[in-house]
Amino acid sequence: MSANSNRHQEIVKRLLDSKAVDFTAIGKTVAELGPSLAVADEPWEGFCGTMRRFIHVYQIFNPEVPVEELGGLAGVSGQLK
Amino acid sequence: MNVQKHAWSKEDLARRLCHALDIARQALEHLAQEGYTDPEERGNSVRPEKLVSETAFFLLAASTAADCSEVRERIERVAQLLIPHARSERMLLGLCLHPALALDYAQAHICLTRLGFPDAGFDALLRQSAGSQARAGRERVPHRMLEQEWITAVWENPGPASHLRTPPAALDSVLNQPMDLLNGSREDIYAFTHALMYVRDFNIRPRRLPRRRAEILAEAEAALARCLDEQDYDLGGEVLLGWPLTGKSWSPASVFGFRVLAQVEDRAGFLPASSTRLARLAKLEGEARTCYLLATAYHTAYVMGLLCASTLQAGSAPPLKLPTGKSTAVQGSGTLVLRFLDADKNKDADARSGHWRGELEQLTYPERDAIAGLLLNIALRRKASRGEFDALRELLKLAYSCGLSDTPAASQAAEMLERLATYASITGAQKAAAKSRADVGAVGNPSIHVTREIRG
Repeated sequence: MSANSNRHQEIVKRLLDSKAVDFTAIGKTVAELGPSLAVADEPWEGFCGTMRRFIHVYQIFNPEVPVEELGGLAGVSGQLK
Repeated sequence: MNVQKHAWSKEDLARRLCHALDIARQALEHLAQEGYTDPEERGNSVRPEKLVSETAFFLLAASTAADCSEVRERIERVAQLLIPHARSERMLLGLCLHPALALDYAQAHICLTRLGFPDAGFDALLRQSAGSQARAGRERVPHRMLEQEWITAVWENPGPASHLRTPPAALDSVLNQPMDLLNGSREDIYAFTHALMYVRDFNIRPRRLPRRRAEILAEAEAALARCLDEQDYDLGGEVLLGWPLTGKSWSPASVFGFRVLAQVEDRAGFLPASSTRLARLAKLEGEARTCYLLATAYHTAYVMGLLCASTLQAGSAPPLKLPTGKSTAVQGSGTLVLRFLDADKNKDADARSGHWRGELEQLTYPERDAIAGLLLNIALRRKASRGEFDALRELLKLAYSCGLSDTPAASQAAEMLERLATYASITGAQKAAAKSRADVGAVGNPSIHVTREIRG
């Protein structure tokens, strides 16, 4: 598992332990709104991460994970030619 | 002094831009049709429309450096790959069904038209959609309003006389008021960089800024410090666009930031984001591996391309050496702030700061003094985000003695400490009242209460 995933897991566990998230209430709302949201075709919501997002519970973007070791990345950069 | 002689090599900037354009070609070839869905990390997924729009945006910005034949040839090649995706049936249907998103669906088409690749049929449908009753039926935040104004201007291609006015939405944007430099979100910085790009139109038809350049760039320096310290080169590259998009001069901090990004790109072979993980790559093969690499790497590569395209405009290249002449910092201030940072026992922060520290080691002492303000911004952000308010106060004292306190971040830090002192006096008074009505006045030292209360 990647460092990013590990960090996400840690954050998720702390959120769950805190019981700050009311999954029953979220489930009820998703059940009501989910079908129409799922078919809404609005691809621009995530442009560069600047647009609003409806539900953002499970993942925090960019939790200050450093970039990988640069020498290791240089080893794969040959594919970007 | 011959400025160009002491500026960053145009050949090197063009080489970096060409590399980003090559990545754009690959990204279109592998991802434009279906996008990318990452089953393990949803944040890595890329919708094809996002890639198509961003590639068109990148090509338009790169066209400002098209006097270089290698750049021009690549723009032509990538544009030909982009055309069928920009004007696909899906995009046409989007114009029909979502008039409030018409300009979003048409962004790639509009950029391609400006680049010399028009399409009369697509344009006709766009005019129908943009003229419909529901065309403005979506409320947007100011930087997204600026984006709409920008796309419209690119589409209508107005004459040169109309370019000077400050766009109305810019007055409501973060360009016209100070960002929260201590506890603002990453999205706040994105709003700042995007608003700046739309107002300045990559210097093709730049509009007036709503505030003085110096005020905006002083805040950009604080944002840059955060990005460098967090190794967020995607956002850091966008922040650095602030200098070439608003004028010709570069500050010592911005030159330093550019050098860090260039050095990282040289060592990794591309400017990386933290989303590209070697462990994932090791598990993947063939097309899956290529798609993962492109999906996680293309955006930051584009940002480096945007930055290099902007620096290739006449007189906009960063100087090779850090300018040290105008520094107001007292001699030795760089070393003093660095010592403060080194006293930081947080190992995670030390590990994250590796790349800029490596570049810092290459600087002379006068050059370190010239970027002492950047180092101060890094320290202020670290202390504020961790709630280390006693250290923040010590840092401000140091900044004052070094002649570094006249910055937006230092000023905001001082305001924060004042608010916390008020907070401490209120909560202290409440607790004292609860203990004894007769002892209401015994609040004690606010700064001690502040630290205890916040750390909780």
